[in-house]
Amino acid sequence: MRAFCILAAAIPLLAQEPAKDQAPPAPATASAPAPDASSPVPATEQRFTGYIDLGYRWQTGVGGSLDTYRSIVNLGAGPKLLGADFSIVNPRHHLYDRIDVRAQSWGDEPSESLHVEVRKLKLYDFNADYRDFAYFNYLPSYADPLLSSNGLILNEQSFDTRRRIGTFSLDLLPQSWVVPYVAYEHDGGSGTGATAFVSDGDEFPVPYTMFDRMELYRGGVRIERKKFHVTLEAGGNTFGNNQQLYQSTGQTNYGNVLTPYLGQDLHLNNLIGSYGITGSSVYGKGLVTANLTSDIDVYGQFLYSEPKTDTSYSQYNTGNFVLQNQLLFYTGQQFLLAAAATNPHVTGSAGVEIRPFRRVRIVEDWMTDRLHVAGASNSSNLLTGHTPATQINAGLLSSIYTNYNQNEVHVFFELSKKFTLHGGYRYVWGNANNVVLPPSGLPTPDKGDLRRNVALGGITFRASQKLLLTGDVEGAASGGVYFRTSLYDYQKVRAQARYQAMDSLSFTVDFNLLNNQNPLPGVKYDFLAHQESLSMMWSPRFAKNWTIQGSYSRSSVYSNISYLEPEFLTAGQSLYRDDAHSATALITGNLKHYFGLAPTVTAGGSLFISSGSRPTEYFQPFAKFMLPVYKHVEWFGEWTYYGYGEAFYLYEGFRSHLVTTGVRLTR
Amino acid sequence: MRNIDLIVFCAAAFLAVGVASAQPALPKGYAGSEICQTCHEDIYNNFVKSPHWAIDSNGVHGFQGRSCEGCHGPAQTHTESGSAEDIRNPGKISSGAADKVCLECHLNQQTHIGRLTSSHMKDAVSCTACHKVHSAEPGGLVDRRPASINKQCGSCHNNVWSQFQKPYHHRLPEEAMSCVDCHNPHGSVRPSMTQTFAANDAGCLKCHGDKRGPFTFEHAALRYEGCGACHETHGSANPRMLTRQEVRYVCLECHANLPFPPSQTTKASIGVVPPSFHDLLSARYRNCTVCHQKIHGSYVDRNLLR
Repeated sequence: MRAFCILAAAIPLLAQEPAKDQAPPAPATASAPAPDASSPVPATEQRFTGYIDLGYRWQTGVGGSLDTYRSIVNLGAGPKLLGADFSIVNPRHHLYDRIDVRAQSWGDEPSESLHVEVRKLKLYDFNADYRDFAYFNYLPSYADPLLSSNGLILNEQSFDTRRRIGTFSLDLLPQSWVVPYVAYEHDGGSGTGATAFVSDGDEFPVPYTMFDRMELYRGGVRIERKKFHVTLEAGGNTFGNNQQLYQSTGQTNYGNVLTPYLGQDLHLNNLIGSYGITGSSVYGKGLVTANLTSDIDVYGQFLYSEPKTDTSYSQYNTGNFVLQNQLLFYTGQQFLLAAAATNPHVTGSAGVEIRPFRRVRIVEDWMTDRLHVAGASNSSNLLTGHTPATQINAGLLSSIYTNYNQNEVHVFFELSKKFTLHGGYRYVWGNANNVVLPPSGLPTPDKGDLRRNVALGGITFRASQKLLLTGDVEGAASGGVYFRTSLYDYQKVRAQARYQAMDSLSFTVDFNLLNNQNPLPGVKYDFLAHQESLSMMWSPRFAKNWTIQGSYSRSSVYSNISYLEPEFLTAGQSLYRDDAHSATALITGNLKHYFGLAPTVTAGGSLFISSGSRPTEYFQPFAKFMLPVYKHVEWFGEWTYYGYGEAFYLYEGFRSHLVTTGVRLTR
Repeated sequence: MRNIDLIVFCAAAFLAVGVASAQPALPKGYAGSEICQTCHEDIYNNFVKSPHWAIDSNGVHGFQGRSCEGCHGPAQTHTESGSAEDIRNPGKISSGAADKVCLECHLNQQTHIGRLTSSHMKDAVSCTACHKVHSAEPGGLVDRRPASINKQCGSCHNNVWSQFQKPYHHRLPEEAMSCVDCHNPHGSVRPSMTQTFAANDAGCLKCHGDKRGPFTFEHAALRYEGCGACHETHGSANPRMLTRQEVRYVCLECHANLPFPPSQTTKASIGVVPPSFHDLLSARYRNCTVCHQKIHGSYVDRNLLR
């Protein structure tokens, strides 16, 4: 027995490093068990740690526009799993070392999420992420052509859908030099909405249902060595998108044109429109990084994808319609279409970082992105209700491509430990074309060239341990862009100062500016946007349990560009202004000395006030307390107010109080 | 009995010598991780739970038994003097130098493929600005909770965070999303360090898959300039996060080129003027998307009507 004791006592000592003369002995090693070096999870760690928040939310009701409230906030009453964030560790390390779980806002909420991560060191790393979003949009004033004449009638572009996104990935042998991985992603949406069925001379608001889904599979391998790395990945997906427009028989829909057309009322009696879109895609990518020498790093990547779609569209409608270019009235239509499209897309990039001197770095990178979409459709359009029936067949080809190239060189110079300068030059060039054959109406000039020279510069100055100043400027002159509002002759400025006034008090000040001018005749684009921000964080020493955070931002956007009124080609002016103030604040306090309890209180919120083309106010104050009531139980309550108002669209304003209470179970 | 004790003692001594010789000897100037623990116990105790602790036992990077000094450099002088001047602190040196320390091990990894194009690199934002090297957070060296990520990004990108306070915004303040859902902070082949989807498509399409296409008839603006051509992607006071207060201005600002361009206008020529029946005095034509409802691209109609 004594022998065993000697041996047992010797083993921990044997495992220690040989003592070094100059080093003091480590006091903890002999008495405390050393952490298990093979695992980041110490054996003494609790098996379950974290919290789960369960609660119930009341709503006072929405004052003002419920539709706008749902389009922007969309929080409702009822029981909720408000949040959860916990970890489960496995001291035996069988099957898994650790499981981390995060969940947020479950219970008929507009944004529900769940994240699960399961790991076993050096064996696997599994991640699952699931999100469920509610997309609701029904703004009374949006896309309502009758708004100005008839007031609120119908939003003709509304939807009430849910989108569910799941991502699952599995990495095998993490931390080894060869890591195979596989992943599966799902993205699906379904719901209902309103849209317009468009015919010549009139358009008819109709309901629709939609369903789309995308399944993506991918797998690859990462090879990581000290001097280089290679990642190879291949993937593919399947895609489906179905939409049905309908109007039941027995109803008459007069659409947006209520005046007779050449003496006849246009109306829709019955509609079945069905989109059936299927698709698939394959892609591959290869990524490489390497150290050629100790002073030269290189990287390169090649990405290729080729999604394809097939379309089957059918439409049957009855009513009274007109084909304007033939002044032909008809009462029935059968429209059938089959189409296909493919989109080969190649992207490549390469770069090098060279360090010729200790304080100088030269970075050069090159990138090309080449995208081409080719489509073809065949349609058959049968118009009935007159004699003889008219059959119109059409075949169309479409092509769109864009080639984008960019080359940039940057030089970084460390003047001192505190002062870094960098400057560079970027050249961007490319071309694009968009054509549908055979042409319709007047020939269109839908092609363009891109030529842009950009000068870059920046500075980083750490004036002291407390003050950091950074700034960047970018100035460009273009010889061609695609769109009238594209960046042409522009200047970008960004500056930031971060100041740690005290250990407990810090400030950040930002300034951003973008000035873009296109002086070409017929364009005359003038755009200026700037934003100034100040944020601070303060944990006052005289009130150690309190933290105050706040930010304020002022932004201004001015845009002025001429356009041509389509009817008479007279010049119009699109003038847009947006001068906005926004602020956020958060005060957190731990009231340890009150009534023998230790509640934590938080108050704050945000506000946004703007003037200009769409004056808007939006307020979101809130207050929250959390009170420990038992060893692992905390009671919390929260009040939130949402208030929204618009100067021009008063009827879209809303206000609502939400009160939530519940318990937090901790461990 | 005494003989047995002697044998056992000899065996233990032999084992001790064997095990001690199996431990890698520390190179000159290095003190070893356990010495660091003596004064920096809090950091050490946290560090042993962090992913970086693996290098203390892992021979891949050559820092067995001296993982602290893998980043902080040889510490023997520092242990003798106790002076902060005698030890490297990546949090207090220039970002280029700090990055060099991290990239000693991390350069050749998939994560850093876009490093040279990253504006973080160009603006001297070092790895330690975001990553807590001693952290024992469940997700690794950076807290992966959406609220924490947003707070961290917002601490520098204060101007961007203020845009999310506008009424129409992506749901970051609600903690349903985080900045890294859309942006890759390490760099990307796409502008503004945006994430990619299925190799080289815009990351927006991961959630907005119905906009991916390819459409039989594309809307060129989406392909050439991306979602940002028409949308304020962080937040806007305008419905649907549009760049202008009314739909027609978004459209007409580009669709104002005459069909027969002089050579001058080929410099900004895509987007022709709509046909003359579009009478803007009529409310019907002021909301372009009532008719051109498939504005992101159509599978059926060349004019994006259905």
